[in-house]
Amino acid sequence: MNVLWEGLIQGLKGVWNIALIVVPLMIVLEIVQSNGWLRKLNRYFAKPFAGIGVSEEGAFPVVVAMVFGLTYGSGLIINHVRTGRVTAKEAKVIGTFMAISHALIEDTILFSVLGASPLLLLLPRLLLAYVVAFFVNRWTVEPSAKGNNLNA
Amino acid sequence: MFEVTGKMIQRGAKAGLETTWELAKVVVPTAVVVAVFRASGLLDTITAWSAPYMKWFGLSGEAAVVLFSGLFVNLYAAAGSIMALTLSVREITICAVMLMFCHSLLVELPISKKAGSPLSYIFLVRLACSVAVGLVLGVVLP
Repeated sequence: MNVLWEGLIQGLKGVWNIALIVVPLMIVLEIVQSNGWLRKLNRYFAKPFAGIGVSEEGAFPVVVAMVFGLTYGSGLIINHVRTGRVTAKEAKVIGTFMAISHALIEDTILFSVLGASPLLLLLPRLLLAYVVAFFVNRWTVEPSAKGNNLNA
Repeated sequence: MFEVTGKMIQRGAKAGLETTWELAKVVVPTAVVVAVFRASGLLDTITAWSAPYMKWFGLSGEAAVVLFSGLFVNLYAAAGSIMALTLSVREITICAVMLMFCHSLLVELPISKKAGSPLSYIFLVRLACSVAVGLVLGVVLP
């Protein structure tokens, strides 16, 4: 019985510590989003993404994934592909990037509350996501490009 | 162009409380289960079995519990395991950074697939990143 209590108390304490940060943070994020700041943020993010073949339109799902999580980002990719705002190749590049690098705020807070270094949680993730996406962009052949070659 | 309304605060607070609830639902049971593992001696068995592999990343055998709960359940479960174990800050950092790349696979791989990236390819990329970073941190972190 003692063991159960110990685990229960430790778990509850941990949840409380995280809640103290998560609740105010979600309020801030909601305000940021309601004021359309993600779109503005996207303009700055789009610059490094140009280096891996991703347009400003294609960078937006990544920004959303990094702030709100993989589910939201992937939903936007599906929507962007359907409406023709990104190509299949671009979708693969940003899909790879966000598979590695998403929910950065929540994940980083969760483990820095437990003692991990926030910089180590963030930087390797962003860096490797960029490097891997760079190679995906390099090595993926755009299906439509083949068609163009045949026509030429 | 900046405004804050009561509605925004309300929506944000609701999202925050929902996250906290999701967190509590996983973290608390995991912490209890791991505490039971420890008391029953099962933890020692897991630890002894995984110690040789965990050494690659500069981790003790106990850390395997954190990695597995993160990979197969989610990051909240990994957090619950960390709370119930007595790992050093160095070990917590290595586990957490490795898990940043590769976690909640049963849920997240299908999501990536839906967004148009093949499942096995995303799995390999995420696992390779995780292992590579773990190997580096195991050597580099003091």
